[in-house]
Amino acid sequence: MLISLNWLSRYIDLADKTVEEIAHALNMLGFEVEKVRETGLPQLEKVVVGRVLHRDQHPNADRLAVCRVEVGTMKPLQIVCGASNYRVGDRVPVALVGSSLPGGYKINATELRGVTSFGMMCSPRELGLGEDHEGLLILDGEPEIGAPINQAFPDSDTVFDLEVTPNRPDCLSHLGIGRELAAYFGKKLVYPELKTDPDRLPPVGRSALIGGVTTLSPDNCPNYIAYSLGGVKIAPSPEWLQGYLRAVDQRPINNVVDITNFVLLELGQPLHAFDADKIGGREIIVRQAVQGEKIVTLDNKERILNSDMLVIADAEKPLVVAGVMGSIEAEVDESTVDIVLESAYFNPSNIRRTSRQLGLSSDSSYRFERGVDPNGANFAALRAIDLILEIAGGERIGPVIQTGSEPTVERKIAITPQYIRELAGFDFPDVRIREVFRALECGVRERDDHWEVEPPSWRGDLYRPADLAEEFLRLYGSDRIPDTPVTMSGMDQKDAPVASLTRLHSQYLANRHFQECINYSLRSEDEISRWFGHFELDPLRLENPIASDQTHLRVSLIPGLLDALKFNRARDTGLERVFEVGKIFHERDGRVYELYSVAFLAFIPERTASWKRREAFDFYSAKSIMEVLAKAAALDIESIGYQAEEKDGSLWLKGHSAQVDAMAVDGFQAQIGRLRFKVVKEWDLDGDVLGGSLEILPEKLGKDEGMVTYRPFSQFPTAVKDLALVVDESLLAETVRRQLGKLARQVAGKRFDLEAVSVFDVYKGEGIPKGKKSLAFNLRFRADDRTLTDKEVGEVFSALQDRVEASTPYRIRN
Amino acid sequence: MEDTLKALISEAEDGIPTVRTRPQFEAFKARYLGPHGSLTRAMRGIKQVPREDKPRIGQLLNRTKKRLEELFEVCLGAIEEEEQAAKLGEAIDPSLPSPDPPPGNLHPLTQVREEINRILKSVGFVVADGPEVDTEFFCFDALNTPEDHPARDEQDTFYLPVEAKLANVAKFSDERYLLRTHTSTVQIRTMLGQRPPVRIISPGRCFRRDTTDATHSASFTQVEGLYVDKGVTVRDLKAVLDFLFKSLFGSDTKSRFRPHFFPYTEPSFEMDARSAHLKKVGKEWVELGGCGMVDPAVFAAVGYDPEVYSGYAFGFGIERCAMILYGIDDIRYFYQNDYRFLRQFGHPVSC
Repeated sequence: MLISLNWLSRYIDLADKTVEEIAHALNMLGFEVEKVRETGLPQLEKVVVGRVLHRDQHPNADRLAVCRVEVGTMKPLQIVCGASNYRVGDRVPVALVGSSLPGGYKINATELRGVTSFGMMCSPRELGLGEDHEGLLILDGEPEIGAPINQAFPDSDTVFDLEVTPNRPDCLSHLGIGRELAAYFGKKLVYPELKTDPDRLPPVGRSALIGGVTTLSPDNCPNYIAYSLGGVKIAPSPEWLQGYLRAVDQRPINNVVDITNFVLLELGQPLHAFDADKIGGREIIVRQAVQGEKIVTLDNKERILNSDMLVIADAEKPLVVAGVMGSIEAEVDESTVDIVLESAYFNPSNIRRTSRQLGLSSDSSYRFERGVDPNGANFAALRAIDLILEIAGGERIGPVIQTGSEPTVERKIAITPQYIRELAGFDFPDVRIREVFRALECGVRERDDHWEVEPPSWRGDLYRPADLAEEFLRLYGSDRIPDTPVTMSGMDQKDAPVASLTRLHSQYLANRHFQECINYSLRSEDEISRWFGHFELDPLRLENPIASDQTHLRVSLIPGLLDALKFNRARDTGLERVFEVGKIFHERDGRVYELYSVAFLAFIPERTASWKRREAFDFYSAKSIMEVLAKAAALDIESIGYQAEEKDGSLWLKGHSAQVDAMAVDGFQAQIGRLRFKVVKEWDLDGDVLGGSLEILPEKLGKDEGMVTYRPFSQFPTAVKDLALVVDESLLAETVRRQLGKLARQVAGKRFDLEAVSVFDVYKGEGIPKGKKSLAFNLRFRADDRTLTDKEVGEVFSALQDRVEASTPYRIRN
Repeated sequence: MEDTLKALISEAEDGIPTVRTRPQFEAFKARYLGPHGSLTRAMRGIKQVPREDKPRIGQLLNRTKKRLEELFEVCLGAIEEEEQAAKLGEAIDPSLPSPDPPPGNLHPLTQVREEINRILKSVGFVVADGPEVDTEFFCFDALNTPEDHPARDEQDTFYLPVEAKLANVAKFSDERYLLRTHTSTVQIRTMLGQRPPVRIISPGRCFRRDTTDATHSASFTQVEGLYVDKGVTVRDLKAVLDFLFKSLFGSDTKSRFRPHFFPYTEPSFEMDARSAHLKKVGKEWVELGGCGMVDPAVFAAVGYDPEVYSGYAFGFGIERCAMILYGIDDIRYFYQNDYRFLRQFGHPVSC
């Protein structure tokens, strides 16, 4: 919303306020000043109108003159000047000592070749008025000597570009903003004075230009007023009117159209002027559009209407998309003589829908859809009539025609000053509150134990005590909220499990030399169908994506991490280890699950340039990381156990990857291992990529695990035995380990504990039959109450060997 | 006898520095303690000592033996150390770089998020979480944002198709799913799930249907705060945000409230900050986010009595804070994952 300071000054006297003060006031009133534009002469302080009284040659410089200049003070000033285009008696702008000119140029008393100059006479450029620096700016007419220079340049203006929030349609006008500033500065607001008396009928004998107005959709148009004006002379608007409109970026068209625009920007009420001759059948019908009905709007576009939309029509055709834009056919033009002036109140949500459906927004629809003053239509019409009669001539004809009536807006809000103080948390007197409400033109009546506040008709946003509390704070000044230290009672609460886990996982992976990355949550359909074919695509689709490669919810963090590796590889940044933590989405049986996920990748380039070789990141490195990630989430990954990856078409390389799928019961799944060569190639990576991904239903996290109870442990040493078994090479080591452990526990019975069994060697080759492998285990025995003797351990161990030979397909390797 | 033993010790002491290897050591030790060693011989000679001298000489012999054993132990220790060192090979060059990968870092957005969490946790907030795909009810209706509000437009908000079903994100009734446009959704879910007092922050990813440029991103992160209790005031809100921004941007930071409008707060404010030492906010007030007192309509939606409780809410973008804090001028850098960008933010985060 553009607000011209000159225009504003018609309703409020702001002469004693600087532009900065006004901008600050607007900001603090809740109208954010996005830009301040100066047109013409900028606001200058201590630059005044002066008159040259004497002009003498400078004693020491041929090109300089020493002048005596009258500036409205008792004594004329001595000013040294280098220009030559002026004569004694000319009025010129004088920058006084202490002023500063555009560009930050400060004026001091300075000595020029032995003569002191107390100020400077200025060229247009020095005042910021264009590029002319040929000589002094000679002022036309006889501006008052000593007056601020800006007064001599009434054309210059300051235009504020404001953000008016959607709850304040009453401020989409100069008067509205003026009212706010008047309340803020404690000044008087001057309404435009009406000359047309609505109650006095125009000269008798002629009926209105139209036969009548019929409203078929009173819900969408509660109030419609039409005035007839005859004998109007269409012409360009006078300069002052054009100037106002131009200042706020409106293009002047002709006097009548300009006046309706002026009133819209003055009062916030949109008006429409019809050429009476173009109203077919001399009758106005306010109705819903017929489905498919067409209209060519003023912007010269054909619009196809539907029955949701309201139109102002004549007997034959729609003339206006109500409240939005008129048709090119009923436009007021040079040939227009008689006009019908419309002022109405339309249902805001209907206008909003229409405007959106047509993709057409106008100054008029912008105001109607936010809500104009329900009681403002007639005032605006009369204001426009005054201006038309004054500027375009003509006369009012016949009576006003009105259908419907002003919507009633009686609102009384019961409030106590104490409520406002309690919400604010600091003190201010009742009288201040009352002043604020009155300044906003609210009625305030004091009842026994409360106040009854009645907001004006244009403040549809005020209907609850909280709304009034806001009004008070806004005008009292939110910069007056006192500074205080934080004082809050303690609350024993725990972070959401997802939040704590995110923190644990990111910290851990960063410590393990992985760089955190962040990728968008939306990915392409192609990518998901290619690498995650087991998901149905449609449930993951967005209804209204904005980019063709961001159409679906991501199902995994891995592709984003591959993007990061690729991006950095291409730029040779040296990044090889990446991770991300975030939400992903899985489809199962047509339904979507939102999951917490953490994933990490390590890139192993084909060639590394390092002075020392390291063992490369491998499957078991990934497994160790996954173990910690799972543990942080309290997931028992070990007891569920990994399955070797066998799925075709996934990202992971068969035979070198594994997964745990516990989604159905425990609500999580994990993958670790090596990515397929095809994947690595697809992302242009010249090497290997390994990593892992853990995906958890958030609702499974943070289950209370109860208190830990300490279990005593043995103070005696262990007895260790090694045993190598020859088994089928396809067997998982874990299967054999568990079987061996079970047997060892059975054999030891209650005599002592088998504390642990672990694999310490895996061997294939010489000495081992084909299709078999050797697994060597380490068995640790321990008793709670004694040091074990070789004898008792030996007995158990030999019984174990017998048992293995007898009851399992494993053979003991000698 | 006494002189012999004294001479024996000093001889051993003199000899030790020449013993450098294990065989030398064994031979040296045998010279004294072997079957024909000099001390062994001396001990045998005790028999010849007159009876009255026997206790004294016996003691002397023991002392001598103990001393010799001490010497041997030290000597062996030195030999073992040299053997170990020889096994390790050449001395290291401390200036060579480690061949291990360079340190990992947390993403700057994570660092700023965690810093904000830390600050607000220190005054009693707790971190809440909620789904990124949420519904119109939690994102708009419950937040007093009417059906025809522009923010709900398909131009501005990503929706899922009407028939979309989320198994683990509950709808309120039959509203549509969408990508949340702010994390206020978490406030609604929290308030529906518990009675006051509520004091939470909800950091998280949000989405708006914006074309990405230097200052806009279709995906961004936000932190929202909510405190509902009896007697919560505007002044409390100002106090907590002052505290937050001073802690985050430095103690010279000034903040101010400007009245504004949000459907879910009344009164509503925008908060601006200025901090002389930060280039981006050194001279002018910079808008950081919005805040206000929870609108009575929001309380009505979650079943809190606005006559009894009051509360404040605030929200702002983490990207914006990070850009101000680090002087970053393009929001897209946060989502590009260029290591040359990311590794500049190597500060550890206190969790």
